[in-house]
Amino acid sequence: MNPKIERLIYLGVIAVLSLALLALGKKEIELRKQIPITAQELYEKLGNPKVTIQIIDVRPYEVSEEEEDEADEIDYYTGAHIPGAIPLPDCDESKAPEEALKHINPYLPTVIVSKDGDPEIFKKCAEKFTIVQNLQGGMEAWDEEGYPEDEGEYEPPAAGGGGGCL
Amino acid sequence: MSMTERILYWISIVALIAALIGVKADISKLEQKLQEVTQAASEGGEEE
Repeated sequence: MNPKIERLIYLGVIAVLSLALLALGKKEIELRKQIPITAQELYEKLGNPKVTIQIIDVRPYEVSEEEEDEADEIDYYTGAHIPGAIPLPDCDESKAPEEALKHINPYLPTVIVSKDGDPEIFKKCAEKFTIVQNLQGGMEAWDEEGYPEDEGEYEPPAAGGGGGCL
Repeated sequence: MSMTERILYWISIVALIAALIGVKADISKLEQKLQEVTQAASEGGEEE
């Protein structure tokens, strides 16, 4: 067989297979978006240093002094949050601390944390990230399971710090 | 076309087919999980 034709056949097969893989990959990402991650699954993933995962917290960042007595700790970011979570209240960049915005990467696998796993806020937020899942039950579920929590202002990761949040 | 080139093409094709099978298996698992989640959600909704 003519080498040029043979080469074209090989390249054609590789191109078709690559396109099929791309299409299936897109389908997988879409499916993942529809399946929420449980608090236990997230905890296990965070404990694995090989897994890079970004946690975006869409609850209010803080509450006013008047509201602080009535509000529950898990109602707002500074009250309690998953270690390493990045605050992005209401998925609105204008409400997030400037320092936090610098650390948001839309291309990293992301988990959205709301107070109770609200699908509406997740839908709004999902558009901003490529690979994204909703935390089932939100911060309430994480708190109920008794997994580690941090409190206080957002602290960016130290330069040169290793992976894994827990 | 040299034999080396031919072997490289075949390695790429086999790797792509293996990746396709892997992704397809992942999709099947995810579809099953989605079905379970949807079913659980609808049952929860009916109870309410």
